[in-house]
Formats: sequence, C-alpha cells, structure tokens
Amino acid sequence: MNFDPLNAVLIGVVLLLAVGFYGLLITRNLIKIVLVLQVLVKAVVIALVLAGKDSGNLGLGQSIAATVIVADTVVAVVALALAVQVRIRIGTLDLSKISSLRG
Amino acid sequence: MTLTIFPWMIALPLGASPLVYLAGRLGWHRVELNGRSWLVRGLALLALALTWIPFALSWGQFAAQGERLFFNFETIGLQADGLSLLLAAVTLGLGTVVVLFSGPYMAGEVGEEKYYAMLLAMIGLIIGLGCANDLFNFWMWFEAMAVSSYLLVAFYREQSASLEAGIKYLVQSAVGSVFVLLGVALVLGATGTLAMDKIRLATNGFTSTHSGLALAGAFFVIGFGVKVALVPLHTWLPDAHSQAPSGISAMLSGVVIEAGLIAMLRALSTLGMLSVSWGTLLLGFGALNMLFGNLMALKQVHLKRMLAYSSLSHIGYILLGIGVALTSGQLAGAQGAAFHVFTHMIMKGLAFLTVGAFMFALLYQKGSHRSLVIEDLAGAAHKYPLAALALSIALLALGGLPPLAGFMSKWQIFVAGFQSGDGWVMGLVIFAALNSVLSLGYYAPVVNMLYRQKMGDVVQQGEAIPMTMNIPLAVLALAIVAIGLWPSIMSWLTEPAGQAILFIFGK
Repeated sequence: MNFDPLNAVLIGVVLLLAVGFYGLLITRNLIKIVLVLQVLVKAVVIALVLAGKDSGNLGLGQSIAATVIVADTVVAVVALALAVQVRIRIGTLDLSKISSLRG
Repeated sequence: MTLTIFPWMIALPLGASPLVYLAGRLGWHRVELNGRSWLVRGLALLALALTWIPFALSWGQFAAQGERLFFNFETIGLQADGLSLLLAAVTLGLGTVVVLFSGPYMAGEVGEEKYYAMLLAMIGLIIGLGCANDLFNFWMWFEAMAVSSYLLVAFYREQSASLEAGIKYLVQSAVGSVFVLLGVALVLGATGTLAMDKIRLATNGFTSTHSGLALAGAFFVIGFGVKVALVPLHTWLPDAHSQAPSGISAMLSGVVIEAGLIAMLRALSTLGMLSVSWGTLLLGFGALNMLFGNLMALKQVHLKRMLAYSSLSHIGYILLGIGVALTSGQLAGAQGAAFHVFTHMIMKGLAFLTVGAFMFALLYQKGSHRSLVIEDLAGAAHKYPLAALALSIALLALGGLPPLAGFMSKWQIFVAGFQSGDGWVMGLVIFAALNSVLSLGYYAPVVNMLYRQKMGDVVQQGEAIPMTMNIPLAVLALAIVAIGLWPSIMSWLTEPAGQAILFIFGK
C-alpha cells in the first residue's frame, strides 16, 4: 500500500483540532483559552494549505493561510488585552469565577 | 461602462474611522475630551451623512440596471445585490440614529473618540460583509466586524460585568469563526475556487449530495450560528447585548445578528443542490429560537436582558420566513423575512435606545451604572411622556400589535407560510403566531408599569432627557407607525432583497 503524505497532513489537522476542542472543554484559565484558540486556528491554517494543494490551487490556499494568521493575531491581541483588564478589575483569570451574569 | 459607486459605501465610514479617532486625540488635553467631543461627533455624523450619497446613487444604478453591480479590485471582487443594499440601508439607518443619540449619552465617558471610531468601522465592515463576493474575503469582513464589536461590548472596561460579557462573546465567536474557516477549507478542497459564482457553477455539477460540501454546510451553520444566536449557541447574546452601551446594544441587536444571518445564507447558498434541506434546518432552528427566546424573556427583570432575549425570538421569525422561501420557493416568504429584518431594526433599535435614554436620565446622571430593572420605570409616563410613548410603541410593535410595523412584517411571513400549502409549515406558522401572543406576556407589563403605576422614587428623582436624545426616538417611533400604516412604502427595499435570497439559492 502506498502511503500518501497528504493523508499524514490530514491526520495532523484532525489531531490538532481534537487537541484544541478538548482543551477548550477543560480549560478555565483565560490565557490558556487564548492558547487553545491559537491551536485550533493553526489546525485550520494547515487545513487551508492542504485544501489548496488538494484542489490544485496551492497558491490560493497558501495566501489565504497567511492572511488567516494575520487576522487571527488581531483576535488574540484583543483577547489578551481583555484578559489584562479582567485580571486588573476582577482579580482573577479563572473563567468559572467571573461569571456573575446568569439567566 | 458606468462608474461604480457602491464601494464608496464601504470606504467612507471605514476611512472616516481613524480620522475620528485622530480628531479626538490631537491637541493638548490628551485624556479629557470635554471641549472637543462635538468635533468627534460631528465628524462621525458627517461621514455617515456622506455615506448616504453613494447608497442612494448605487440604489439608482441597481434599480435602473435591474441586476447585480460588480466591482473588481485586483483579485478582490465585490458585488451589490438586493440583499447587500438591504443590509446597507439597515446599517446606515440605525447607525445614523445611534450616532445622534450617543451624543449626550456617551458625553464625558473615557475613550469617547474610540467609541465613535469603532462604531464607524463596524458600520463600514457590515456593509462590506453584505457586498463580499468571495468566500474568503467574506470571512475577513466577518472577522473584522466581530473584532470591532468585541471592543464595543467591553467598552465600559471598569465594570466587571461588561468585561465578562466581552470575554464570553469573544471566545464563543472565535470558536465560531474556526468552524467557518473549516467550512471554507472544505469548499476550497472540493471545488478549487472561492469566488461564490464559480463555486455555484462547480457545485451544480455534483448530482448527488457531496459529503464534503454537506459537512462544510454544517460548519457554516454552526460557525455563523454563533453570531446569529441560533438557540444552543446563543449564550453570549443576553450578556453582550445587555452590558454594551445602549447605542451598541441597538446596533448589535438590530444589525449585527442580521448581518450574521445574511452571511450564513450567502455561504450556504454556494453549496447548491441542498437548499430544501437547509430550509428545513432553518425552520427547525426558527421554531426553537422563537420558543426559547420568549420563555427566557418572560422571566427577566432587567429590561435590556429582556430585550436581548426577545431578539432571539425575532431571529426565529426571520428564519421562519427564509425557511418558507427555501422549502417552497415563495418570494413572499423571502420578502417577508427581509421586511422583518428592516422592521426589527427599527423596533429593537428604538426599544434599546429608549431604555438607554431612561438609564441616562434615571441612573447615569446620578452616577450609577447599574442596569435598569422594570420596576424602576413605575409611572415614568407622567414625567417622560415622549420617551414612555416611544418605548410603548416599540414594545407593542415587537409584540406584533396591528397597525404597527412589526405586525405587518410578521403577517407577510405568516401569509407566505399558509400559501405554501405544506401541513408542517402551516403548523409552524400557527406556532409562531401563538409565540407572538406569548411575547405580549412580557411586553405588556412594561407598558402597564409605564402608564398605570404610581410614580416611583427612581422616576421622581430622575433628570430630564435631553432634546437631542428625544429627537432620534421620535423619528424612529414615527417610522414604526408610518410603516405599519403603509407597509408598501418599504417594498422598494424588501422586494429586491427577497428576490436576491431566492436568486442565490437558484430558485
């Protein structure tokens, strides 16, 4: 049986997504949540390049992947800025301790 | 070859956004804005007023040409169809009113210039989202709009509740956008292109259901569903909408969730072949949203939270209209959904802004930033007749009382549902009508509280509502009554939008 390297990449994407979603379920620390979101986005970045390669349009896939990295950095920066404010005003980074809004 | 004007609708607010920020930052007083907030507000208002010009001109072009307008800049393609113009009209209309209203409301807040800069950016990005013609650019507009709205939700950064709402909103939206991107990757892998029209051509060639594309559709529903607040994905909405500054609550509820819905429709429409099953799915979510939103709104004591939950149920009515259009191919359903997007913008915008005016007069002027509960408004009609009347009109219109605007748009959706002749759809329409009655269960007590109770302490000690706040409220209230009496005056906008929904789904 021939081993297709693209399949290895696909398995990598699925594994990264699994790690990301598992992390999202168990993490309560804001900084770690930002990290986990980054893991998820990196999986998607690889998936985009793979999709480009798969459909014979590698350039498009790569350029999109680069743009996603930029756009996602902005989200991470905003999330970290909010986390700093949360730490200053509420005094904790634990999401389960800052939920006052219910119902 | 005529000149393409519609990209200016996007460029003007986006370009004005940094200028507004700079105008607030230049000069000697680096923190305090006191003397110059008129400059910031004036610039923001001027930019929006100017944006109406390209809107009107592109509307004229669109109406004369009778088909979509295109604009290509290098590889970035933009288009303007009925749906884009509906979104642009809704965003510009509410945006202008919100900037007018925010003048006194936000005066003296820390970072006032950032508020207007982000608001303008958000308006430009939403209009851009409506015009995107390429699945990836589309995601970029969507993500940029989301970033601007995170910052606006967490605007009162010294309050823990608003920070908490901002963080929840950000985390959930970010996960949603991961799902959207996965969907984009699947579509790219299956078709090798991202231009929407080319994807449509490619997917029309697939005769049977393509599993990758079906999965991509599911990812789009989940990803955009976070923004639209489809029921199991809605948990950020009541927090974010109730903690944001009132003008932003109005924008989020009246425009941003509808923008998410239009985004979801555009993305799903490219997948071809499956429109009936998507329609059924949307009908299901619509029923869930209506029931859940109403039940949760019934037990709220905080006014803004109640209005936020009522947005869930109104998304349900819009989904019902779109679902009817997709399953039975009826223009009336799509047009009714587009009409309800418009009337919901006016009604919910007015409701949030009047609540904001009351918060301003009763609480902020006293230095309190707590949220307004329904009991605070006891007897408010005696002291604030105009604002109380405006809030009552907004709430009763949301509840669907004739002859107000909300009744007309719901009616159009219900009629379309009955014309479809499908037993299930008719059952859903009856369910929606019952929900509409149920919703009066939480709107009517507020009106009762305003008019029939003795004046409470909070109202007695309240300050006056400034004239600059009352004027936008009066304009919106008049619009609700006028559209309720002559619903056909809006068909120039809703009919092309309805046709566009059917067109992109190939009906």
